Amino acid sequence: MDRTLHSPKECTPAANLRRRGRNALLTTLLLAFPGLGALAAETPEVGEIVERANLAAYYAGEDGRSEARMRIVDERDRTQTRQFTILRRDIEDGGDQQYLVVFSRPSEFRNVVFLVEKHPGGDDDRWLYLPDQDLERRIAPGDKRTSFVGSHVFYEDVSGRHLEDDDHELVEVTDDHYKVRSTPRDGGNVEFAAYTTWIDRETHLPLTTEYEDDDGTVYRRIESSDVEEIDGYPTAMRMRVEDERMGGHTEVQFRGQEYDLGLPESVFTQRSLRNPPRDWLRR
Amino acid sequence: MSPAHARGVRRRRRPALPGWMAGLALAAGTGTPALADWDDDPWADDPWEEEEQWLPFEVDGFVELAGGHHVRDNRLLDKDYNLAEARLRLEARGDWRRFDLRVRGDAVADQVTEEVRGELREARVAFPLGQRLDMRVGRQVLAWGTGDLLFINDLFPKDFNSFLTGRDEDYLQGPSDAVRGTWYGDNVTLDLVWTPVFEPDDYPDGERLSFFGPESGSRTVDAPRTDDPDTFPDDGELAARLTHRIGSAELAGYFYRGFFPQPEQRLNDRVTHARLNAYGASVRDRIGPGIANAEVGYYDSVDNRDGERSDKVPNSEARLLLGYTWEAVTNLDVGLQYYLEWLQNYDELEAAWAGQNLDSDRLPEEYRQVVTTRLTYSMWRDNLTWSLFAFYSPDDADYYLRPSVRYRASDALTYSLGGNLFGGDNEHTFYGQFERDSNVYARVRYRF
Repeated sequence: MDRTLHSPKECTPAANLRRRGRNALLTTLLLAFPGLGALAAETPEVGEIVERANLAAYYAGEDGRSEARMRIVDERDRTQTRQFTILRRDIEDGGDQQYLVVFSRPSEFRNVVFLVEKHPGGDDDRWLYLPDQDLERRIAPGDKRTSFVGSHVFYEDVSGRHLEDDDHELVEVTDDHYKVRSTPRDGGNVEFAAYTTWIDRETHLPLTTEYEDDDGTVYRRIESSDVEEIDGYPTAMRMRVEDERMGGHTEVQFRGQEYDLGLPESVFTQRSLRNPPRDWLRR
Repeated sequence: MSPAHARGVRRRRRPALPGWMAGLALAAGTGTPALADWDDDPWADDPWEEEEQWLPFEVDGFVELAGGHHVRDNRLLDKDYNLAEARLRLEARGDWRRFDLRVRGDAVADQVTEEVRGELREARVAFPLGQRLDMRVGRQVLAWGTGDLLFINDLFPKDFNSFLTGRDEDYLQGPSDAVRGTWYGDNVTLDLVWTPVFEPDDYPDGERLSFFGPESGSRTVDAPRTDDPDTFPDDGELAARLTHRIGSAELAGYFYRGFFPQPEQRLNDRVTHARLNAYGASVRDRIGPGIANAEVGYYDSVDNRDGERSDKVPNSEARLLLGYTWEAVTNLDVGLQYYLEWLQNYDELEAAWAGQNLDSDRLPEEYRQVVTTRLTYSMWRDNLTWSLFAFYSPDDADYYLRPSVRYRASDALTYSLGGNLFGGDNEHTFYGQFERDSNVYARVRYRF
């Protein structure tokens, strides 16, 4: 994909020093435990790491289906609930994608449908269908880092942030994780100054993401957990978003995850707004 | 699985986390973790939505109390409020094979009209016919077009008595008893809607809102006797839409055959709905940070095509709408619209007014322009929403402001406060006639 992702910061002396230090350690380990040779593959470039993480988190299989429910807890511990089913279809791995999100609760949101055509490198097309008014509303592309249906999750967290919107820097490699720091190319568009992602080295799943403000204070954290292997794809069955600025947190649970269902393109059209594709939504 | 067990599993699955958090806190120079520790929510025992239904269909709804009080003295009406009601909504949905059924109805205790009534908003069945055709039959809410609270090619019934007095915006779309077929082709989608008997707008008729009476030349609450076209099948309506996408642009063509939605044709001492054919087109696409739309329509007044009957029958019109909506600042959405109604055969209309010695000051403008702004500011993850929708017409020199604030206290409970504020230089213009009907309203809705 986009080779410009490689951060120029990786060439700084400090980064080189870190890399040398790590290599020395690896050599020692290899001498001590020859069996570890399989693990001693070269540390990949940061562009490859974030690309793999993006693929693991948002592009597993050719398509997917998942039921999700959210528990939204505000700063005074009052809770709200959302439940919905997500259908996804990849047009190209790491590239264009389609999403259909159909809500089942609370009653105010029942049969509300959200349709996304994701275009990395460009603007996404998004529609929201409100059944009580038979209204197909189109959502402005600028509107990505605002609350998704009243939760702490942003629209962008649902379908993924475009990789090329940030510069990425590999800041640390631990036994289990790559730690990548990302800074927005257009800081005027977003509410954060930078974010750091801990990516699991084995599954490539981003497990923790922390957003910081201009002072470097972390105010928002997304954590994925309960990773299970489903149809051969490691899948986080739980996610939690905490946001100090908003107050409170949102917990998301997934179930009924399936991959490679052969979802046809026709599922992701305006037709599904008025007539959600029941056969594909049900398990 | 017990919550305790789930916690244990989780702890094992992320052994490195406390270390990172400590490391991060040190790196950030704060010394303490930036955010509070996370307890695991014992959520495992909470069932997902309705795993097993005890009925073959789902039922939900709400109860709502609503009141709206005049902010100006309106001597024409015997009440100084135009909204005072308790409402129970019940909705049932079910499906059987390929059939999807839905019934929605309200029971309303209305203090303004001093009655208890039922309103059936929806009672329809939807089903596919073959691979490409979806049918929807029965009472249903219909809408299309690109305008925001302005309608050109959407000639489905509108309930202005609800809209202008402060009921939920949903109620602006009135129900139709209709058959809708939507055919999905490879490149185009065709909608055909047949309403066997014409369904007029619910327009101000003096019961809830006063209005300007052209006959009396003043504001009135005495509606002229109205004959609604109601012969089956001659007085039916046919509406069609053809849509096509080019990239992200949505193009649509529209056709309508029926009647003007409001009774503007004069028959001696009565009024009725004039015949109308309408043709139009629209485009909607994302441009820059927002969504742009444009829509045009031509209203062909079938019984007054050349303007010779302008004394009795409304003139033909051309209409245009341009709009743009974007998020100007995070959580602040701005929508702007420009709208134009252009009366055709205007010379004939002028002559007709002169011939009847009508007050030329009240002659409609040839070009009536309206600009609208919608400002929406969301706070607290959309639980508190401030909104201002403003209509202003420079030609009629009148306006209509719709300020509102909505607080969603929980998934069940919503409070709304707002106003419908009309004004203008004259009392015969579209918004100006309602100046003394301006109100402030409050609503509480509890969903179940």
